[in-house]
Amino acid sequence: MGNEAIVMKDLCKDFKVLNRHEGLKGSIRDLFSRDYKTVSAVRNVDLTVNKGEMIGYLGPNGAGKSTTIKMMTGVLEPTSGEILVNGVVPYINRKKNCENIGVVFGQRSQLWWSLPLIESFKLLRDIYMVSEKDYQDMLELYRSLVDIEPILHKPVRQMSLGQRTLSDILAAFLHNPDIVFLDEPTIGLDVSMKAKIRSLIAGLNEQKNTTVILTTHDMGDVDALCKRIVIIDKGQKIYDNDIEHLKSYFGSYRTLRLKLDDDTWEETLIDESKTDIMEVINRADRQKKIRDIELIEISTEEVIKKIYEGEAS
Amino acid sequence: MTPRKLIALTRAGIMESLQFRLGTFVTLFANLIYLVLVYYLWKAIYASSGTDVVNGMTFNDTMIYLILATALFNFLEMFIVWDMSRSIQSGKIILDLLKPMTFRKYTFWSYSGSHVVSFVLTFIPTFVVVMIVTKGAIHMGLNLLWFAIATVLALIINFNIEMIVATICLYTESTWGINIVKETIVLLLSGASIPLAFFPDKLGTVVRYLPFRAVYDTPLSILLEKNGSDTISGLLSLFGMQLIWVVVLTIAGTLFWNHSVRKITVNGG
Ligand SMILES: Nc1ncnc2c1ncn2[C@@H]1O[C@H](COP(=O)(O)OP(=O)(O)OP(=O)(O)O)[C@@H](O)[C@H]1O
Ligand SMILES: [Mg+2]
Repeated sequence: MGNEAIVMKDLCKDFKVLNRHEGLKGSIRDLFSRDYKTVSAVRNVDLTVNKGEMIGYLGPNGAGKSTTIKMMTGVLEPTSGEILVNGVVPYINRKKNCENIGVVFGQRSQLWWSLPLIESFKLLRDIYMVSEKDYQDMLELYRSLVDIEPILHKPVRQMSLGQRTLSDILAAFLHNPDIVFLDEPTIGLDVSMKAKIRSLIAGLNEQKNTTVILTTHDMGDVDALCKRIVIIDKGQKIYDNDIEHLKSYFGSYRTLRLKLDDDTWEETLIDESKTDIMEVINRADRQKKIRDIELIEISTEEVIKKIYEGEAS
Repeated sequence: MTPRKLIALTRAGIMESLQFRLGTFVTLFANLIYLVLVYYLWKAIYASSGTDVVNGMTFNDTMIYLILATALFNFLEMFIVWDMSRSIQSGKIILDLLKPMTFRKYTFWSYSGSHVVSFVLTFIPTFVVVMIVTKGAIHMGLNLLWFAIATVLALIINFNIEMIVATICLYTESTWGINIVKETIVLLLSGASIPLAFFPDKLGTVVRYLPFRAVYDTPLSILLEKNGSDTISGLLSLFGMQLIWVVVLTIAGTLFWNHSVRKITVNGG
């Protein structure tokens, strides 16, 4: 085994879905229907991820990100193509693969709902056969990265979404897996919780050299965490390179929104590497009265749109 | 098999079940209402038959059997069919499939803690009450040990029935109807609601060889020393039948699940 954590070659996944008909009559017809159509969720994806790398796996809704992750974890069998995770074929060797991976699927929790978090940790410690020393070391590391004391003894069902997500991320790293899959871990969280979670993930990756595959719709996550980004759309890989490379093509764009006296918003796309935001604001202020200011990160969707328009490749 | 994993799951299950203390009282209360109904129903049956002994059982025999059957039912009851269909719908099943042990083992041992709790909180109290009220109708001897073994085998058989039905639901994508059918069949043919002695001869013979009977009737017969379980040969044939079903259903359930799990497409994401 070399330095690769994940190798995928020409990977495809099709889903067979019933063509459903409308209405009650249609539903009854569907009972006997053999009218299937094929949805290609992932098409001919080649991807190699090295150990310790943290990659942003991006794409619009329905692009095939979660499907790829499910294949990497072994719960889905590819329709065709090759896949190796930590040197094993995940869907054949699911149990072995499970020992070396951790997962977080935003909005689903693997924690025991009515028990305090610490009990879920102890359970995971035992089912992953983690030694007491490694377990204590990991808790120590957690303490150094985030303030876990307030949530450690709280029943999971009493946690806020942010606290629960944080807990789920800690749970995924607990057995010190080689690879952690984070599928939209920051979905629905506020800015400060996002920041907390980003610094936690960065810290764990750095300390444990864990390979991290991150999917998100928030460019801020990618900016804070990933050196390399892979973009897929309609199941196909359309971009795979350094984030710096991407930035050099369209700079560090942000959208500046100004609310004017007449209650309308004026939007300007600004490349911070070329233009000074304060200058734009000052200029606008001299012309009209500004009531409110917003700065919006460019979204992954906009990045993808730009790639399509041929600004980067 | 790694005891550490299994003990950890059982421990968590016990703690989780204890969170729902109120549920235990509700169960006991529901049982009470059910048993009052059963009492009057069977009183009427015995009154109309005109004799004290019907199908070899006195009214007291029948009541003891049915009360213990109800307590055993609370103890053995599993909700795998419901839980699994819910976790497939929400896509949460992916997290259970990604545990470092087989899904069947993980599921079984996740439930074991709640069995321990319901055994201590509902079965034992019911048993003690029956024992005190009937003053010696239940023999206190080796039959208790045989009963314990038969109950563990019953638990495994019941788990496999649940798993097989849950797996069928993967294909039908509807749970409600199938689960009702399963519950009706199990309740009727296991002896949990009508003692097997009351079945018509032909049906009774068939039912004696089905797995459902091995879940409720066998442990209860052994506990109450009925159906020939007071002789060595009778005991052996009851255990033999249970063992056969444990083996057959475990193999069938495992194969069926392993085949079907590849079809799960894992919703959502
Ligand atoms: N179980 C399934 N059965 C049928 N089609 C599916 C199934 N799961 C996913 N798909 C289809 O495959 C495609 C890719 O879905 P996937 O969940 O991988 O997207 P995604 O990139 O994770 O999107 P999002 O950002 O919205 O989470 C979609 O068109 C989806 O409808
Ligand atoms: Mg997704």
